[in-house]
Amino acid sequence: MSAEIAGSPFMLLFRGTHWDSGLSAEEIQQIMSRWTAWFDRLTNEGKAKLGQPLTNDGKIVSGKKGFAVIDGPFTESKEAVAGYILLRVDDLDEATKIAKECPGLDYGMSVEVRPISGEIGRGPD
Amino acid sequence: MSTPQTSSEYMLLFKGTLWDRDLSPEELQNVMTRWMNWLDRLTQQGKVKAAHPLANEGKIITWKKGAPVDGPFAESKEAIGGYFLLQVSEEEALEIAKECPALKHGVAVEVRPIVDQCASMERVYMEHATGSSK
Repeated sequence: MSAEIAGSPFMLLFRGTHWDSGLSAEEIQQIMSRWTAWFDRLTNEGKAKLGQPLTNDGKIVSGKKGFAVIDGPFTESKEAVAGYILLRVDDLDEATKIAKECPGLDYGMSVEVRPISGEIGRGPD
Repeated sequence: MSTPQTSSEYMLLFKGTLWDRDLSPEELQNVMTRWMNWLDRLTQQGKVKAAHPLANEGKIITWKKGAPVDGPFAESKEAIGGYFLLQVSEEEALEIAKECPALKHGVAVEVRPIVDQCASMERVYMEHATGSSK
């Protein structure tokens, strides 16, 4: 547990679940191949620690007075989170540089680059 | 690949980074202590794969006029303040979301199933399946 872990943790949040509307199956397949190759490279370089897509369903729990549970409208939204990658890289500049390589950017996705704060987290290191 | 995807992993996204503004230091400390106890318990139960707070800074990359640009990250009600990645059933994920100590201060918890294959590739497979069955 005393071993120093190099780099700092960042989370990339991919926003936009509408990016594939209007694209053919072949086009989507091509983009996804590029996405997979990108993620594989980052993994091999030791920079991506974990990354997964989220499905377009789910729920939102909220409520100051008792619970409200609503079905999330996660489809066809510019803001909805579609997936994430946990990175361990040198600094925010490197995380930002990686975010700019995201194959979904050309199609209207945006990528949020967020430093992970504190030592109180769990995993995946 | 044409079978419906089921999930045993869920991501809880905690939305809202302004919830602590009106709390006194004591109230804030109290919520954070409950939050840490909550995460400790879930971790001891083996349900947590990863969990982190996200710093209120960072960048947003968007595509404008043919080039990716990075803008500052703004605090908002919609901004994500942290996440839990849980290995649980859907029912359990919802129950855990309801335990969030900041709910009553205005934080909302998004409960999202995680899958191996992204939704867009599912669409591709569906279209291939439909095409080949003609």
